Amino acid sequence: MQEEYKKGILDRLADFLVIALGSFINIFKRDWKKKNKSKMEEWRLMLYALNRSPPGLIGVFLVLVFIFFGVFGPRLAPWPYNYFPFFDNGTAYLAPPGTQVYLPSHETIMSLHLGADHYGRDLLSLLLAGARTSFVISIVVIVLGVPLGILLGLIAGYYGGKTDELVMRITDMFLAFPALILAIALSAVLPNRLQAFISSHAHLQSFVLWLFGLHMREAGNLGRLLSVILAMIIVWWPAYARITRGSTLTEKENLYVEAARAIGLSSWTIMFKHILPNIIGPILVYITLDFGSVILMEAGLSFLGLGATPPIADWGRIVYDGTQFFPKAWWLIIYPGLVVMLVALGWNLLGDTLRDILDPKTRRSIEFKVKKTKKMEEKEGEENA
Amino acid sequence: MRRMPEPILEVRDLTVHFYTYAGIVKAIERVSFDVYKGETFALVGETGCGKSVTSRALTQLIESPGRIVGGKVIYHSDKGPIDLLKLREEEIREIRGKEIAYIFQDPHASLDPLYQVGYQIAEAMVVHNTVKDLKEGLQRALSILKRVLIPDPESRIKNYPHEMSGGMKQRVVIGTGLTNNPKVLIADEPTTALDVTVQAQILDLMNKLKRDYNTTLILITHNMGVVAEMADRIAVMYAGKIAEIGTAEQIFKNPLHPYTQGLLKAVPNPMKRIERLDAIPGTVPNLITPPSGCRFHPRCPFAKDICKQKVPELKEIEDGHFVACHLY
Repeated sequence: MQEEYKKGILDRLADFLVIALGSFINIFKRDWKKKNKSKMEEWRLMLYALNRSPPGLIGVFLVLVFIFFGVFGPRLAPWPYNYFPFFDNGTAYLAPPGTQVYLPSHETIMSLHLGADHYGRDLLSLLLAGARTSFVISIVVIVLGVPLGILLGLIAGYYGGKTDELVMRITDMFLAFPALILAIALSAVLPNRLQAFISSHAHLQSFVLWLFGLHMREAGNLGRLLSVILAMIIVWWPAYARITRGSTLTEKENLYVEAARAIGLSSWTIMFKHILPNIIGPILVYITLDFGSVILMEAGLSFLGLGATPPIADWGRIVYDGTQFFPKAWWLIIYPGLVVMLVALGWNLLGDTLRDILDPKTRRSIEFKVKKTKKMEEKEGEENA
Repeated sequence: MRRMPEPILEVRDLTVHFYTYAGIVKAIERVSFDVYKGETFALVGETGCGKSVTSRALTQLIESPGRIVGGKVIYHSDKGPIDLLKLREEEIREIRGKEIAYIFQDPHASLDPLYQVGYQIAEAMVVHNTVKDLKEGLQRALSILKRVLIPDPESRIKNYPHEMSGGMKQRVVIGTGLTNNPKVLIADEPTTALDVTVQAQILDLMNKLKRDYNTTLILITHNMGVVAEMADRIAVMYAGKIAEIGTAEQIFKNPLHPYTQGLLKAVPNPMKRIERLDAIPGTVPNLITPPSGCRFHPRCPFAKDICKQKVPELKEIEDGHFVACHLY
């Protein structure tokens, strides 16, 4: 095939990814690759468009790094979060970045690249372990909160009338509170009940501990961690209910919805098979942008002393504890703050770029730009020759 | 000798109101007519007179803020007569698409852009269990595409709606309507969004399919040319009420209602020679506060005092020719 674009390494990587994914699906569905050539071409163009947007690439990079550490962080951390070197060797107390501390009980030297906190714990290890906390919380909040909002928004928008009034007025009640204040109130009220609940379900408890990469000893602190999650789910769905309802209202005016009713489809089939896929694009972009906001809010709540308690590693909590020793132990605030900022920035850049490349119109304009530069370069080449 | 045709739909006093912020829009008021088995029945009238609302009300397809306020729609199914307006949502769903199918005005909008056309045809069969699975549905969809004269159906079945032309899409929509071999097919301005040459093809196709499937066709249109070509019987609607019902011959040769007369003067009549086209003076009344008595009286050249006070009832003037007018 004649090459239309000037391909860089990333474009070749994109080619490879698309072909690999296609071949993978082909294993399960016979002739899938042959039948879906145009779909694969479309994926390829999407990735090319992404490759031509530097902020997008930065976003993808930051998010991939975050996900990587979110999954493997606690394993990669050189020191466990619940080991307190301060009791071994007093010099570990608030040791500045680059210090080496000898630990008699381990008969080894601990290198504190990013410094230590007031327990003498290695900040780098804490940040790595904290990645898991942020990662799990953001995923759980999005996975549980967003579908709830989408479901209610679809129902309100599709049925209209009294149902709409009821659902949306409840949504308005939630939106009327500032999200952070409501989350603070909820996460202050909920911990005891959640603690009682989780303590009485041993399997669930060990699953949650495993999910966060925590030691059994932290079982007593789970209630506070879960209360933050629940509080954030409760403040998170109303925004989605509202945008889904809005899109549903526009979408259901389309004739194909009436046509679907006229062939006898049930309301649920129409909602989930015909309306939802047509409005999911903007919602997906919103979700990506929201990952950043969830992480920010979670950090904010732990900064206020809600949620995870020491020794559980949590970025917001590290900053909160660090404020007591500021400005002497500046690293306890600067580094976790920087990490939170980079992650939130990454999700935001990714979301912005997704909006561009998921929309066929803007994707085409990027494509044209690429083709044009390619042509101009060819022309120059001819002139030079 | 009056023949006694077998009715398939008997609509009695059908009334639909829309509850808007501006007030109650009386979209259709006590509409009554019969549709006979195997005929082509045309509902004619200008924009906003309630043709579409009437057709949608037949299977309760009226959406909030609209509501069917009263009336009866007796449908003579194989299992005996049913009042469609009394059925629950799950029961009427069984009727829609299977016994009574729709074709909508704009083929560009009546297909879901995200699904291949073959799937959309098959979906109509899968939902009514006329095929055992989607695979069989797709096979049937292929034969339906052939039936509606789509060239190269094997590759077209995989097309998305945006890959097809308007005429092609309307064929798909007609195909979707015919999938379950419905007893009644309601075509709501099926050719309005298409250009004239394609219109003729689509009308031919519908005529042919109607004969093949032995379907009763309810045709909704404001295009008198289409009516003259297709219809056996015609109902003329004005401002949410039936003005006149009769056979195509009666309506075109001997229009009784002043509105029908005006309508026929306003378009070239294929059955009558006229010198020039006239317009009906005035505009369609606001249906929130419709005129008292006969709703046409403010625009009627023959209006009398009684027209302002009393609502005219449908009267049979000649065999099968009804008119709602105080002149008769």
